[in-house]
Amino acid sequence: MINASNSAKPAPTPSQEDPELLAQFEQRISDGILIEPGDWMPEAYRMGMLAMAEHHANSEIIGALPEGEWITRAPSLRRKLALTAKVQDEVGHGQMLYRVSQELGKSRDDMLRDLVTGKTKYHNCFNYPAPTWADIAMIQWLIDGAAIMNQKTLADGAYGPYVRTMNRINMEEAFHFKSGEDMVLTLMSGTKSQKKMTQAAFDRWWPVTLMFFGPADKPNAESRPPMRWRMKIEKNDSLRQRFVNRFAPAAQDLGLKINIVTKDDQGNVTSTTPDEAIMLDEESGNWTFTQPDWDEFWRVIRGNGPCNDHRLSLRRFSYEQGGWVRKAVGSGTISTPPAA
Amino acid sequence: MESMLSNPLAVRILSHADDKLMLGHVQSDWTGLGPILEEDIASSAMAQDDLSHALTLYQYLGDRYDLDPDVIAFERSAENYFCCDLVTQSDEFDWAGSVVKRWLMATYMLIVIADLSKADDDSDLGARCDRILPEQELQVLHLQRWIIRLSNAGDEARERMQLALDRIAPLAGMVVEMPGHGPSPQESCLIRREEIFREWTAGLHETIKQAGLNATFSLPEQTQLGGRRSRHADHFKEQLVEMTEVRRVDPGASW
Repeated sequence: MINASNSAKPAPTPSQEDPELLAQFEQRISDGILIEPGDWMPEAYRMGMLAMAEHHANSEIIGALPEGEWITRAPSLRRKLALTAKVQDEVGHGQMLYRVSQELGKSRDDMLRDLVTGKTKYHNCFNYPAPTWADIAMIQWLIDGAAIMNQKTLADGAYGPYVRTMNRINMEEAFHFKSGEDMVLTLMSGTKSQKKMTQAAFDRWWPVTLMFFGPADKPNAESRPPMRWRMKIEKNDSLRQRFVNRFAPAAQDLGLKINIVTKDDQGNVTSTTPDEAIMLDEESGNWTFTQPDWDEFWRVIRGNGPCNDHRLSLRRFSYEQGGWVRKAVGSGTISTPPAA
Repeated sequence: MESMLSNPLAVRILSHADDKLMLGHVQSDWTGLGPILEEDIASSAMAQDDLSHALTLYQYLGDRYDLDPDVIAFERSAENYFCCDLVTQSDEFDWAGSVVKRWLMATYMLIVIADLSKADDDSDLGARCDRILPEQELQVLHLQRWIIRLSNAGDEARERMQLALDRIAPLAGMVVEMPGHGPSPQESCLIRREEIFREWTAGLHETIKQAGLNATFSLPEQTQLGGRRSRHADHFKEQLVEMTEVRRVDPGASW
């Protein structure tokens, strides 16, 4: 999640900070004391936390789009209500995270403008298509399941407002996950065409979810600021392994096959072969698996994914259409209470 | 289904449920795309209110006629929906139009749901409507404030609000059209229709005055037929196709 850069101004490196203040700051973190907005913090920490919270906020409001497109087609009143509430939650998470970011020194409007102009990024997984109802089930089951795993570790971080926001978000994400699990279970207990639709959606989203945690960390990740300052708690590969350990057997229990897939430029699966690597290694207790296509990951993150343009242009359209309302209620700046 | 569709009270309840369904359906399309995050969240909550109110009324009818509420909501042919033309209008992502339309409908629904809640001989219906009313009152309050706030927030906002009202006000009269396929409504129903229209528009004019806007609402002739008499605009059929897209993939399947 920490891959956004928000400012052209170079931050002072930790070695340029006051050594005594820096030592006190690092001692507080190692003592498990939360850092609050009014506390002294290295500039690199403030900017890193801002980049992380802003990227997370961007991901929440962009992440609302693929699922939002299915609200009008939800197949029952209860599913329609649940999906609307779920997407609303994601927007609410965005709102909470923008408030955390605002306290770190960047205005809401600057963040929204940087998002729609492509200056800042959002999570890569939302640049993929969701062509069927089963894709919505997979987003809620796999992507939200992965998000909970990641965010539970982030709730063990050091920055108070972000930690408290993660705790609130995780409670709601647990509902989303349960809803997704129920949808997948319903589909896989259903008719032949429902099962076929669900397997196709699983083929699309399994590799995307493996990429969700990001590529392998650098070898000395623990000693670098994001982990040393508890902005990031667990390595990407470790989270990915925990995800596979949890979801590979769950998918198989539901009757889903884990495949290696090839895709075209639009994100459509063009071929599938069973992932022969999927098995439980009794010695380590881990499930082995085939890594996703990391070349695809970098292509998509550079803006060449199937839905990058669509997602961003819809968000830009919404930002432009709503400009007169924001201007009317607050001259372009929105007055909000302080972060959690 | 046929016995429900031939009962005047059931059709009246169905018309309110269909209004709620379509209000929630169109408004839910804004979820994630509202002009301000806080209002995106609030308007999504109102869309959920509308959808759950629709469910409450469909459940009432489902219990009476032994029908699944989802079948009532999604498996009628277009001519058996009795929603008014105003609620099926697309907002075209015009926030002013969305606020004006929702305010008109919320104010109207508060009157008719309160009316239904007083049904002396049906405590079940009354209890269900009583649960809807507090949320309906909140919607009216929220939307009234937006109408007044935006209309007093500078030239551009006022102009947009007035344009939206100019576009939507002519459709308002059809909201009180008597629903159903049957013969011309009885005299007592027409008198009640005029009472509701007067009560409704009197409340609207109070807010319009505070907002500094202008609007004229008129009751259409009985000969004018709209959505409540099954004369839906073409786009309503497209909305129904969209709304039932997943159900039609595998009819009868559980989703």
